[in-house]
Amino acid sequence: MKIAVCVKHAIDEAELKVDAGGTPQFAGAASKMSTFDKNAVEEALRLKGTHSGDVTLLTVGTAEAKKTMKEALAMGADRGVLVAVDPMSIDTGRTAELLAAAAKKAGPFDLVLCSEGSSDIYSGLVPPMLGELLGLPYVGYAKKIEVTGQSAKVERSLEDSVEVVEASLPLVVSIVSEINEPRYPTLIQIMQAGKKPIEEVTPESILPGSKPATPQFVGMKAQAMARKKLVFEGPPEETAKKLVDALASEGVIPR
Amino acid sequence: MSVKVWAFSESPEVANEMAAAAEALSKAAGGSYAVVGLDGSAPRLAGSAKLVLKGPGSLLESPEQAAEALSLAAKEANPDVILVGSTRNGKEIAGRVAVKLGRSCASDLFGLTISGGSLKGKRNAFAGKVVGDVSAPFPCVATVKVGVYQALPPSAAPETQKDAGALLSKVRLVERREKPRGTVDLKGAKLIVAAGRGVKKKEDLVLVSDLAAELGGAVGCSRPLSSDMGWLPEEHHIGLTGVTVHPDLYLAVGISGQLQHVAGIKDSKIIAAINNDKSAPIFEASDYGVVGDLYAVLPAMMKEVRGRRH
Repeated sequence: MKIAVCVKHAIDEAELKVDAGGTPQFAGAASKMSTFDKNAVEEALRLKGTHSGDVTLLTVGTAEAKKTMKEALAMGADRGVLVAVDPMSIDTGRTAELLAAAAKKAGPFDLVLCSEGSSDIYSGLVPPMLGELLGLPYVGYAKKIEVTGQSAKVERSLEDSVEVVEASLPLVVSIVSEINEPRYPTLIQIMQAGKKPIEEVTPESILPGSKPATPQFVGMKAQAMARKKLVFEGPPEETAKKLVDALASEGVIPR
Repeated sequence: MSVKVWAFSESPEVANEMAAAAEALSKAAGGSYAVVGLDGSAPRLAGSAKLVLKGPGSLLESPEQAAEALSLAAKEANPDVILVGSTRNGKEIAGRVAVKLGRSCASDLFGLTISGGSLKGKRNAFAGKVVGDVSAPFPCVATVKVGVYQALPPSAAPETQKDAGALLSKVRLVERREKPRGTVDLKGAKLIVAAGRGVKKKEDLVLVSDLAAELGGAVGCSRPLSSDMGWLPEEHHIGLTGVTVHPDLYLAVGISGQLQHVAGIKDSKIIAAINNDKSAPIFEASDYGVVGDLYAVLPAMMKEVRGRRH
């Protein structure tokens, strides 16, 4: 089975710093593989283990994104295609178009996997757009995938229900993080990952007639977290009383 | 210019929230709006102009066919803005419609306005650490955060219908199971006591659920407890990828306060936390905090609450 996994190199939201004026500092910010993409890579590797085949990474990102691709290669992916463009400079529709073009160039694939959304922006639009652009069946928010022959049975997790659906391959699936627990690469795998191929392509070379870039955001400010931050310390009986007093005076617990 | 806004959701209740957003936009910018729903939802929809999409099968079972129907209707009427409730299926429909119509698509917006031929809005990013400004030139599609706009009441206005065409679904629904809701629906709960990794054993969750019961609240948890430990069903998971809540009181017990968790509780009126680690990030996101062992603080709280009642 030939599997593609879309992975994003994302700014680490936990490490993102904000200056005194409330402006996020993206220059030099720490970055990492988008959290839930690890689950998508893991699922691809699990399916490869069961059905044999290979796993290709598809990434839209700057040269920096090779760090994430190497991590996924160390986990067990076989190769990568990097579409060299800053993802923050283009909108989700453009990202989906570039991933679809990369999938066509490196494919055909039996399965294209994505996570439900990236841990930085978390729009959740790229996976269905990819399904639509590739003209393939698409199943979103998968918590379980079973492939038998040329068809797949997928459990998808919606807000209030779980749906079991069937579709034939080739197929695009977005996954939720509950689907699995991502593996950690071994030291040997990390060293070997450097030898696996990453092909770098320009957007123009895979998708002629490029549109002007439309950034996702026209401005950004730190979220105002106007909380009281009153912290009680001391013996449990005293702190518990102080907390209950405070909550009662706020009128948020029954008196 | 007279702006034309569509308010769509596969859920009638959410469509009526979109209607509230669309009504405010069309009033402020000058223009009109229509509420668009799926077959069978007409009596539950708001607004004076209702459009109902019909498909070859139940459109509720196929976001793919719902997207086809919505885009066919939009091709004819050409609304400047299509607002779609940001549910999981809503995101699929919005993404597909944007591709079919060659429009841009914004996601999870709130604080919508119209100016200079663009839809403007705000959205959370970086797990809620940042609020971004988005500007989408007409014509556009945008998913709108659920629970932000107060839904308009259903109206008795007649509906027009639009047929979805004959697109066959490439995905077949085999089975749908409702998720167990537990005793209280977290999304609507006024008081939530939530457990995190600080709880050492599954049996100890009773400390959390007892306090929740005493206070008349619901029980939630952080991701590790539902996903990794499996101590509570997924439906109890509060956070970015779980349920977003907005109770009057959110009491976090033994939850460290990772950004992904805090992203789901930000709209709570009061946040309180109990954690034995003074440097836990949850205290930065809380109004009131207790530094202490939950195994000592919870029983003391229980005694305190009971003492006041009886």
